[in-house]
Amino acid sequence: MDDYLIGVLSNIGVISFIALSAYVLLLTGEISFGQQAFFAIGAYAAGIATALWGWPLAAAIVWGAAIGAGSAILVGVPTLRLHGLYFAIATLAFAEMVRILFELLRYQVLIDGEWVGPNGADGFRNIRYIFENDISSLQFMILIYAVLVATLSMFLLLERSRLGVIFRMIGEDETLAGLQGISVARHKVLAAGIGGALAGIGGGLYAHLTTYIEPRSFDVMLGVHSLAYGLIGGLGTAFGPLLGVLIDIGLLEAIRALAGYRMIIFGGLVAILLIIRPRGLLDEKLVHKIGRMWRLILPRGGRVKLGPSGEKI
Amino acid sequence: MMTTSWRFAVIMMLAFMLFHPQTVLAQVRAKAEVDCQPAAEKLQYDCIIKLTNSRTNEQLAGFDLMVGADMPSMPAMHNVRPVKADEDQEKGTYKARIVLEMYGDWALHLDLIGPVRDRVVKVLRFERDRVGEPTSAQTPAHQRH
Amino acid sequence: MIDLVQNTIDGVMIGSSYGLLALGFTLIFGVMRRLNLSYGPSIMIGGYVGTVLYVQYGAGPLAVAGTMILGAAIAGIYVERLCFAPMRMGAGIASMVSSFAIWMQLEQAAILVLPRHTYPFPPLTTGAPLEWGPFLLRLDHLIMLGCALGLTAAIQFALYRTRFGLALRAIIGNPVAAHLVGINVSVAVMLAFAAASAIGGVAGFLVLSVDQQVTPMFGMWATLKGLIAMMIGGLGSIPGAILGGLLLGVVEAHCQWYFGPQIRDLAAYIVLFVFLLVHPGGLLGRAPGSDIAAPRTP
Repeated sequence: MDDYLIGVLSNIGVISFIALSAYVLLLTGEISFGQQAFFAIGAYAAGIATALWGWPLAAAIVWGAAIGAGSAILVGVPTLRLHGLYFAIATLAFAEMVRILFELLRYQVLIDGEWVGPNGADGFRNIRYIFENDISSLQFMILIYAVLVATLSMFLLLERSRLGVIFRMIGEDETLAGLQGISVARHKVLAAGIGGALAGIGGGLYAHLTTYIEPRSFDVMLGVHSLAYGLIGGLGTAFGPLLGVLIDIGLLEAIRALAGYRMIIFGGLVAILLIIRPRGLLDEKLVHKIGRMWRLILPRGGRVKLGPSGEKI
Repeated sequence: MMTTSWRFAVIMMLAFMLFHPQTVLAQVRAKAEVDCQPAAEKLQYDCIIKLTNSRTNEQLAGFDLMVGADMPSMPAMHNVRPVKADEDQEKGTYKARIVLEMYGDWALHLDLIGPVRDRVVKVLRFERDRVGEPTSAQTPAHQRH
Repeated sequence: MIDLVQNTIDGVMIGSSYGLLALGFTLIFGVMRRLNLSYGPSIMIGGYVGTVLYVQYGAGPLAVAGTMILGAAIAGIYVERLCFAPMRMGAGIASMVSSFAIWMQLEQAAILVLPRHTYPFPPLTTGAPLEWGPFLLRLDHLIMLGCALGLTAAIQFALYRTRFGLALRAIIGNPVAAHLVGINVSVAVMLAFAAASAIGGVAGFLVLSVDQQVTPMFGMWATLKGLIAMMIGGLGSIPGAILGGLLLGVVEAHCQWYFGPQIRDLAAYIVLFVFLLVHPGGLLGRAPGSDIAAPRTP
């Protein structure tokens, strides 16, 4: 594989995490304009951990995820009392606050005769872990996808678990879910925490992929993009947001002739797509249909049908 | 079911953390001066890159230098095909023609491949007729809209 | 003390432009119950049309203002037709995301036409500032304040004293019932959208002529400032929009003076955040709840 392809695929992998993190909240019916904040927090936390404190990469990524989840829960507790637009704007305000705080953050340490660390609006350069440890870009890409596959399999488990059903139930009708004895607030905060952790992981990987981060990368643009991925790709399954990322970065990358007109084409495409399918390409109906077909095709022998008292039929 | 897979993932992560080798390679730290000029073709720029070792200030020659770029304002969304820079007669000087996707601030990635791998990042503002300092450094924040 | 008063004066003046931006925003939100993220970029498109006229043909400020307002209104209609009209019912998030996609589109279109980062914009007045005791008043700032107050009054009048306003209020109350009594909902909403973008165009023109330059980032700036002022003032409230704008302006002016531009931006978001947590209804809006709270599930 050449460098270019590795670069594109790595980018797709990293952005998938923030798309998934917006998707978790979309499941519970909340729109967040602020997932980029946790992406930024994860990126800075993980970058500081390896570049300044000399931590190993995996510890730094876990640390970034933990900080991301922690801050998402801290913000989630007061803001999730709000709904819809109010929540969306509150997350936007929080994310912009975080971005400006990173513009003010200066924390540099002299390492080997050079100042390393976040330097306000000029950004945080020299997150050189992959060079110092001689990790090739291909190896790093494989690492990104390993984490992504692990995350996705957890999502697939989540969708089949009670928790996943509860999330969707809250998204469908909060009041009804509450009447069923579900603690709506607690589950929403949990969703926010999971989202924060995912964004934190993505951020940590992104920081090490580019070796260079700066506050303005984490503005509203990134947040709304990550929200849009879920809606383009579809809200029926965790593959939806990935499909969205793939369409945005992958497909448009493939059509090189569009270079200068990319956003014009993409913007129009998204607008038209959302008219035809307001819940994205892979929406609940389609996912349900695919699931049913899958069960029809699957040989009966593989599945054991149980009768009312548990005996085999 | 959920909890076991979480636990498994955490154990895997811990194992990776503990057993991953922590090596620090020989200390060559590259520093670069980049000078870009618009080429005749639209969105193409000719860049002259001077590489030095920031430890010893000697020129760094004999590297394979790949020049890539992305936009800090849209992280991971613009992918520019990295080009290989040609080494000039002058020691430590490389030349490359880069093709960008749009005007604006770009972070150039200079990837050194050779005895030592390294990456130097330079943020520059690319416009139709000139290349200059990035916006964040150029305009005070209160004028930025 | 003089600084304090002067800052407050400056804040009120700048705040009136935020109020104007919020006014257009709140009009769209009031009618549609939707967030139009492309609001600022539509204004930016208007500004680019104006600056082309100014740079290429040397048009005067009034001609530039006219084309800018017209351009913003046309861009607004484009956004409405593509993102809002086809999904009028029950797809709140979809139209919001769709308006974001169009934002990207408008921004790239602007960059394609005028690729440099900044372009000059004609000043409205070049006269020396008025002196009033120890205080300075800029003429263009005074025009800004006048426009803000005048347009608020005009909109309030249009909504409550004209047949069109009656129709709009009927749509706000219940779009289906409005349709049943013979109101052409689609056209009325489109006109409201155009009017809102035109108000944004006025605000944008005044801000740009004070700055004397236009950049593609103006779209995002206008959307964010309008959004903050609208939320502080109270969603859907027209006097609230102006009040929210003025409050935002005063807070920003003081923070700018004492702590610099970064803290100024930070303070704006802190005020917004605290308002949302403590009093989500804003200064004059209704508390969120059963009514317009938000587009529930997409």
